[in-house]
Amino acid sequence: MISSHQNQKGSKLEVGISYVLASGVVASLVLMGAGILLFYWEFGNLAISEKKGMFLQEKNFFYFLYDLLWGGNFHGKALWTMTLGIVVLILTPYAWVVMSVLYFLKEKDFKFFLVTLLVSLILTLSLATH
Amino acid sequence: MIDMVSLLLITVPVGLVGALTGLGGASILVPLLVFLGIPVKEAIACGMASIIATCSGSAASYVREGIANVRVAMFLGIFTTAGAILGATITTKISPLLLYFFFAAFLATSFLRSKRTPPESTTSSAWPDPVSRWLNLQGGYFDEAYQRRIDYRVNHALLGGGGMFLAGLAAGMLGIGAGAFKVTVQENILKLPPKVSSTTSNFIIGMTALAGTSVYLYSGLLNLTLMGPMAVGTTIGAFFGGRMLNKLRNRTLRALFFLIVSFLIVQMIYKGVSSL
Repeated sequence: MISSHQNQKGSKLEVGISYVLASGVVASLVLMGAGILLFYWEFGNLAISEKKGMFLQEKNFFYFLYDLLWGGNFHGKALWTMTLGIVVLILTPYAWVVMSVLYFLKEKDFKFFLVTLLVSLILTLSLATH
Repeated sequence: MIDMVSLLLITVPVGLVGALTGLGGASILVPLLVFLGIPVKEAIACGMASIIATCSGSAASYVREGIANVRVAMFLGIFTTAGAILGATITTKISPLLLYFFFAAFLATSFLRSKRTPPESTTSSAWPDPVSRWLNLQGGYFDEAYQRRIDYRVNHALLGGGGMFLAGLAAGMLGIGAGAFKVTVQENILKLPPKVSSTTSNFIIGMTALAGTSVYLYSGLLNLTLMGPMAVGTTIGAFFGGRMLNKLRNRTLRALFFLIVSFLIVQMIYKGVSSL
């Protein structure tokens, strides 16, 4: 017999992930939308630019996050707001993977605790070492 | 070159179609950006970042409705994220010219999906392998188009994992979700029903894209003025696509998929040949 408890509508993990995904995406879109409006306010146009200042670059994501929040290396509110939107977007899948690790640990489902832990380790290493 | 508002408006229908077909949006976006004059590596990097939004937007509703299989997604996520990191690293090191042809060749593999799966297949009778049984990967969902519950088992979990590593490799390398390839692996190897494949694929793409984006951040290929409008436009489109998917028949989705993939292959080959 097929057991489908993990796929029933509205299970705790699924509802939780759904909220994380939806709120992360909405927050990042609002920030990016606001950033685009501020861009017009600051630069007087909405042209797609190939100037160096429009490109994001950092040794790794966590340095990048520190720079954004406390480093003061961003010129103007428009680019800062758009960048924050991108950061929230990047953190959205990361947040639900971490949430899943905690959920499976709480449920004492150790097989999936290990599976989700491995995924979160790969993602953390990727963010930290690139 | 176009401005941010035009790009935002163009990317709304792209996000909608990407969510409906399981392509993930960037498979359409990257050739579109190349067509609009954006350098291919930059298009790939920004495509990769924007699909986090597209896929997370549509996955939110799929997961809530219980169509996507979270356990299968997590298990396959191990393979796709590792593949994406390797793929994105390769892209930063090779000639842009090669990327046009790789892109077209990879899109062509997505036709395997429409050839090998029965057009209105909604059930799966595969017998679970030991790994799938051990991980309890089987599931079920209520299909609104057929007005009945579809239960399914999962097969060949490790072989599917190998296929998903290749999907992740291609995704990271080409800045796409590789949704079509992921769906092919899930339908033909893991024996998941088409709608579970499409929705679970959308869910996995977010993880894959995150892994690839970190490499492109290091390489300095992420352009803010492209990513902002792309992410907003594709997500709005994906939001509506996510609500339409479960009401459409599989045959309609496949016809749409075939038309779009054919057009994109021709466009990328043309761009590659004209750049020789």
